[in-house]
Amino acid sequence: MKAVVLAAGEGRRCRPLTLTRSKVMLPVANKPILEHVINALSKNDVQDIILVVGYEKERVMDYFGDGGDLGVKIRYIEQKAQIGTAHAILKARDMIEPEDEAFLVVNGDNIIEPDTIRDLLRSAGGDATVLACKKENATGYGVLVVEGQRIKKIVEKPQHVVSHLINTGIYLFRPQIFELIERTPLTHTGEYAITDTLQIMIDEGMKVIMANTFSDWLDALYSWDLLKANPIVLGEFEQDLQKGTVEEGAVVKGSVSIGYNTTIRSGCYIVGPAVIGDNCDIGPNAVILPSTSIGNNVSIASFTQIQNSIIMNDVRVGTHSYISNSVIGSNVSAGSHFVTEDKEKLLIEIEGSLLPADKLGTIIGDDTEIGSNVLVRAGIMIYPNCRVNSGKLITEALAQNSIVI
Amino acid sequence: MCGIIGYVGQEPAAPILLESLKRLEYRGYDSAGITVLNSTLETYKTVGKIADLESILPTEIKANIGIGHTRWATHGKPETRNAHPHISSGVSVVHNGIIENYLELKEKLTERGYVFESDTDTEVIAHLLHHNMNNDTPNCDLFTAMRMTISELEGSYAIAALCCNEPDRVVFARKDSPLVIGLGEAGNYAASDVTAFLKHTKKVVFVSDHEVGYILPNAIRIYDPEGKLLERSPETIEWDMEAAEKSGYDHFMLKEIHEQPTSIQNTFAGKLMELEGTVRMNELYLIPEQIKHLRRATIVACGTSWNAGILGKYLFEKLAGIHTDIETASEFRYGNPVLCGEELTIAITQSGETADTLAAVRSSKSYGCRTVAITNVVGSTITRESDSIVYTRAGPEIGVAATKTFTAQLITLYMLAIHMGRIRGVITADEAKDLIVNLKRLPGQIQRILSRKEKIKECAQQFADKRDYFFIGRYLNYPVALEGALKLKEISYIHAEGYAAGELKHGPLALITEETPVVAIATKGHTYDKILSNIKEVKARNAVVIAVANEDDKEIEKYADMVLRIPASHEMTSPVLSSVVLQLLAYYTALAKDCSIDKPRNLAKSVTVE
Repeated sequence: MKAVVLAAGEGRRCRPLTLTRSKVMLPVANKPILEHVINALSKNDVQDIILVVGYEKERVMDYFGDGGDLGVKIRYIEQKAQIGTAHAILKARDMIEPEDEAFLVVNGDNIIEPDTIRDLLRSAGGDATVLACKKENATGYGVLVVEGQRIKKIVEKPQHVVSHLINTGIYLFRPQIFELIERTPLTHTGEYAITDTLQIMIDEGMKVIMANTFSDWLDALYSWDLLKANPIVLGEFEQDLQKGTVEEGAVVKGSVSIGYNTTIRSGCYIVGPAVIGDNCDIGPNAVILPSTSIGNNVSIASFTQIQNSIIMNDVRVGTHSYISNSVIGSNVSAGSHFVTEDKEKLLIEIEGSLLPADKLGTIIGDDTEIGSNVLVRAGIMIYPNCRVNSGKLITEALAQNSIVI
Repeated sequence: MCGIIGYVGQEPAAPILLESLKRLEYRGYDSAGITVLNSTLETYKTVGKIADLESILPTEIKANIGIGHTRWATHGKPETRNAHPHISSGVSVVHNGIIENYLELKEKLTERGYVFESDTDTEVIAHLLHHNMNNDTPNCDLFTAMRMTISELEGSYAIAALCCNEPDRVVFARKDSPLVIGLGEAGNYAASDVTAFLKHTKKVVFVSDHEVGYILPNAIRIYDPEGKLLERSPETIEWDMEAAEKSGYDHFMLKEIHEQPTSIQNTFAGKLMELEGTVRMNELYLIPEQIKHLRRATIVACGTSWNAGILGKYLFEKLAGIHTDIETASEFRYGNPVLCGEELTIAITQSGETADTLAAVRSSKSYGCRTVAITNVVGSTITRESDSIVYTRAGPEIGVAATKTFTAQLITLYMLAIHMGRIRGVITADEAKDLIVNLKRLPGQIQRILSRKEKIKECAQQFADKRDYFFIGRYLNYPVALEGALKLKEISYIHAEGYAAGELKHGPLALITEETPVVAIATKGHTYDKILSNIKEVKARNAVVIAVANEDDKEIEKYADMVLRIPASHEMTSPVLSSVVLQLLAYYTALAKDCSIDKPRNLAKSVTVE
């Protein structure tokens, strides 16, 4: 079976991290969200994958290539303007053959498990199937109003509670969907939404049914939600220290995995779940506490402590630093005594609106250089490519390319 | 260069041969052909692309054995009659290499009544095989005839041959041209390059010089020159076919430019010891005593590898205090090299098959020099000719213009220089550490250049209609200028010259007008002020100046018309970043001019002829 995976959008709400890559490429447990999606498909023998790419597509193509490493075949199509899910699906029309009885459509930016796909395939039927997932708090999502298995109505982001069944954005369609998409009108926001196509089908009496899943379906609405998804996915790892070197005198507890050519130097204390990528140099005497992922080619100097954080590729952290509940973008370098303050119940301002975050240190965009003795206040974000001189206290968000002298 | 393929097995041969030829396309070619055997030999060949060959094939060909060839003309023009395979009643031959004594052989064969249809050197092989099978020795089979034939040949060859009386085997022989055998589940393969059959099998056996043998549907046989059967256990190739697909990119070249953050990391993976300030070079078979007493190093290379070699020279001299010469391989071997022991020859060749570089290594060895090869291809010929091999680990490169393999060569040279410099006590652990940290920062910095390539694209489009381009740089940026110019001429067909900036006044300045864009590599370093003066010199002649400069450099804007930025970086490692910028400049220029980017005219990926 073929799957069309939607990976063209930026995911603006995950800025500043998505200023340099799309949301599907944000790492959770050292793998892009999209890789979790492709693995879930592959485990269900869905190995013919059509990736609809657009925003920062090279980052996606460079990472996944033709899919050989993941045991799947990936073809790419470009959606130049991101004008809705229906439009993105329509782009794949040429790659779906008439003999394909049905095909999957999956969002590339939600983390799913193999069971998620299995649940859809098991109870699929009718003219289209929508995978639903029950959530106590359904605000911010599209929800399904159902009668038995049959969907009566799809309501986008309702004000009042109409249903707890949220639309996961995972569908099973038949090739006839393309003609229906062509008949789908523009929404008032100027997009072609696949939910509108489904509503047309319902209104015309076609059979649109719901499949239910109780598996993990994780959506990172905002960048700090990555820190909630990370521990969940990390929990599934086994300990694996064979690929790298753990020097004598280092303590490694729990499910910790390290990559090729990585060295954990003497005196380090690492408590899992944690994952460390290839070509990293950790310590001596560094402390890494649970729910931390560290990408490839990262150096962590001595006496530094990191907990519940995501450190992306090519990052360097100096000595005596403290990073907690934070996401550090790739190619960031920080001098010694770099401290991220963390607090609970924060309100974070993004593009004029205040959003709640349970617990957060900081989010730092790619390519930022930070001097020594810098402290970032809890919940304050640093956008990509900033320069912060030594001895600074960062109390307000830094826009892209800022220089703090 | 020419590519050959042979297949025998259970599958239909024609589609397999065609697909393999497509995989060999990157070597560069002007014509192509196949012979399949189905009770009689059927040969199809034409000038042009593989698609042209495909169009002249009948819809159904029943055959499970065949040979194929992509030709890059050396002897005789690109014409259909000169395309391989070449036939001599019942025998069909494909060949890569050059038969030096072919005129002499041709004369002899003509006297015996053979009629030549082509101007190629290869046709003599076909007739010789036929002659050897049908004269002198009774019941002579193709394999025996091949052994007799190669004893008469001088020059280089990788040959695959078929005979209509022996429908179960493709006979092969090799000397100085690449040949590799693939062991598949539905048949066996013989080819110039593993990429030809990598889709079908990763189990390979490398054939060495002077070896000869044949492939059968379920077995292979390789014999040494004395006729002794050799036992060879297959090796497994780790390259994926994935690497040979464009994965969403329009061109391999752009894909390969984009692979550099990863490929560079593969090059230095496990070698950089940051805290210790050392580089781990276990593959170097030189004990510290030998490194300490080296009196001189000679770098031999061709083309892009030669440009990398110039940076190597500067690095070895600065970091390791070794007097280093850089030689063009094709000149070195015909000059009178003054070499002795206690000297090191470093050969740089991406493919490991570059004929001139191989010859230079052999000649160095004959003077008692130690040899180190820097190459990207595992199992290539140079790896069997050199004392030590340092692999650049950049993965297969399909685009004819070298990109990721060039930067991988640079990284390898940095590592070699730091390693030797530490042993010789020229640089301290702290200085080495500083360099290592900067090497480790390169992948992230390259990523940053890639994500902001729009500016480079605009610049390329703006000047794509110019006839001439100059590239200038000093010291470590001089090789960058040379490579920038080479990339541009290779793929965009714009005349481009790379110059040491100080050399401009000694002649080339006469060519500078408002119609010649000058690319000045003006990154921060101790020659920065000097390059600024050079920029002023060309500005005074009304040239448009495109500067490659650091992100934090504001001053440059006063002098240059356009500035392409690299992240703020160490003087020593910035050449790698500037090179990436110029690769993109060349790519987008060629794109704007609608050139054949991955297969530029007249060029071949690995130059296996001299």
